[in-house]
Amino acid sequence: MTKLAIGINLDRCIGCHTCANACKMQNNVPDGMLWNRVITEGCDAIDGAVGEYPNLTRTYVPLACQHCENPACLKVCPTGATYKDEQGRVEIDYDRCIGCRMCMAACPFNARVFNWEDPQRDGDFNWGDARVPVRTRGVMEKCTLCKERTDAGEEPMCVVCCPTHARVFGDLDDPNSELAQLRATKGKDVHILLEEKGTKPQVFYFDE
Amino acid sequence: MKLSAQSKIGVGVLAAIMVIGFCAYVFQLTQGLCVTGMSNGVSWGLYITCFMFFVGLSAGGLIVASSAHVFGIESFKRVSMPAVITSTVCILCAGAFILIDLGGIQRIWNMFIHLNFTSPLAWDMCVITTYLVINVLDIIWLRRGDERKVKMLSYVALPVAILVHSVTAWIFGLEIAKEGWYSAIMAPIFVASACDSGLALLMVVLAAVRKAGVFDCGSELFANLARLLATFIAVDAFFIGCELLTTAYPGTEGASHVLGIMTSGATAPFFWFEILGGLLIPFVLLASAKRRERTGVVVAASALVMCGVFCKRVWLLFTSFTVTNVYGAPGISSGSTAARGADGFDMWALAGSYMPQPVEFAVVAAVVSFCILGIALLSKKLVAKA
Repeated sequence: MTKLAIGINLDRCIGCHTCANACKMQNNVPDGMLWNRVITEGCDAIDGAVGEYPNLTRTYVPLACQHCENPACLKVCPTGATYKDEQGRVEIDYDRCIGCRMCMAACPFNARVFNWEDPQRDGDFNWGDARVPVRTRGVMEKCTLCKERTDAGEEPMCVVCCPTHARVFGDLDDPNSELAQLRATKGKDVHILLEEKGTKPQVFYFDE
Repeated sequence: MKLSAQSKIGVGVLAAIMVIGFCAYVFQLTQGLCVTGMSNGVSWGLYITCFMFFVGLSAGGLIVASSAHVFGIESFKRVSMPAVITSTVCILCAGAFILIDLGGIQRIWNMFIHLNFTSPLAWDMCVITTYLVINVLDIIWLRRGDERKVKMLSYVALPVAILVHSVTAWIFGLEIAKEGWYSAIMAPIFVASACDSGLALLMVVLAAVRKAGVFDCGSELFANLARLLATFIAVDAFFIGCELLTTAYPGTEGASHVLGIMTSGATAPFFWFEILGGLLIPFVLLASAKRRERTGVVVAASALVMCGVFCKRVWLLFTSFTVTNVYGAPGISSGSTAARGADGFDMWALAGSYMPQPVEFAVVAAVVSFCILGIALLSKKLVAKA
């Protein structure tokens, strides 16, 4: 089996939002939404800090679909539009989506975004990778782990564009991959987002 | 069917509201759900609130009607027809709200060829369809006076009526993502609130058909049903109390946050109205045998119960949408540039917010008008003069 995933080095993330923009450009993501966003954890302002001066900490958490092994969104989809593919990615069949938004309520990470209107784009034209299907109004979308790129053996755009190499892409089921080894060797320094929800995210975070 | 001048005006007004609502829905179809107040943060709104509410109104009616036959409560059989009529019309409204809420109704055929049976929404489609068929058969057989068939049907109808509202509860209660929803008592609460709001609707309908001179169920039965309503209110209050205690007691951070929003935050007015106006006051009103004999008091209490249950749907749905599990700026992207006036940085929100838009109000008003008109016309046509 293949289990594609991304590991994110939180100590390397500088909160530049390049991954968010790279994703938006690659995947033709319309105005008003992002598949990948960078959260300043626990803060009500971007680039804020947690704690009291002088003991302040700041953690950036790049947040997108966690490609869970036990995806809450998949079970609740009434038409099977959301599915787990043979590469271990959670994907959406846009032609099957009826826009009921069950999956949106089910996702603990708020990773999904919906086309509430006809997709609006600055410049009024489609951009990004031509292989990426264009979504219509009334359809759910989210991070595909750059399906079109990873199918062709390329890395996801957020991984390619990260200026600090904070992101590692690979196959968790291949013990020789850098990603699987990081996950195996980092031990306590591996963080799973909302682990208590039991959705078993494949995406993980780690410290240097 | 002859209608008085007054009734004609009433029908005219309701029909006008339905036409306006239909136009609003067509507008929504052409523009997308961006004409509603929903966004990526609060992704279900007034439509789903009304869906829950109407399933409850419907299930309550059928539970009373079928109990009469299952448990052999002779006196209740007299109100079977009005009960099944309210049940049928309300389930049509509930189903309508689900369809109205779909963003991609043009792809609805996927529900038939690719149905995924692990989805509570798939269960809902199956059980609501079954339920509707049972209701229609019930009306036909009650009309023919086929007591044997009605009785047999009632044995199926009672569990299905309970199931239809349980499945509605599971749409929410099985979501681990939402602290305020994920609870085993969600289905019992929904069934209890279906019993009280559904019976309350039936009381209002019975009072109305008596006033209109169509059917008089008799004041003794009316008072008895009012006593049953008081019991249902108490059961509902008990379940809600259990849920609140279980949520509050451990004092976890997530639960405290949810309770804070409910008791003193955005959904607080709805929460307190339900507790006081929807449970406490109507229960006190109906607790005395003397007061139960006064139609005005019973109708007022019933109206309060229905409003209270509606408020319950509101706080249940929206409280959990307000919070995010992974908190941090910039938060959630709205996903809708038109509806939320969200441009540039305004597209972000740290917490979900929602305000129903005119289109939603127009559509809801139309469905409610359909409900009133449907119940009134069917009652006039099918309920025998007594």
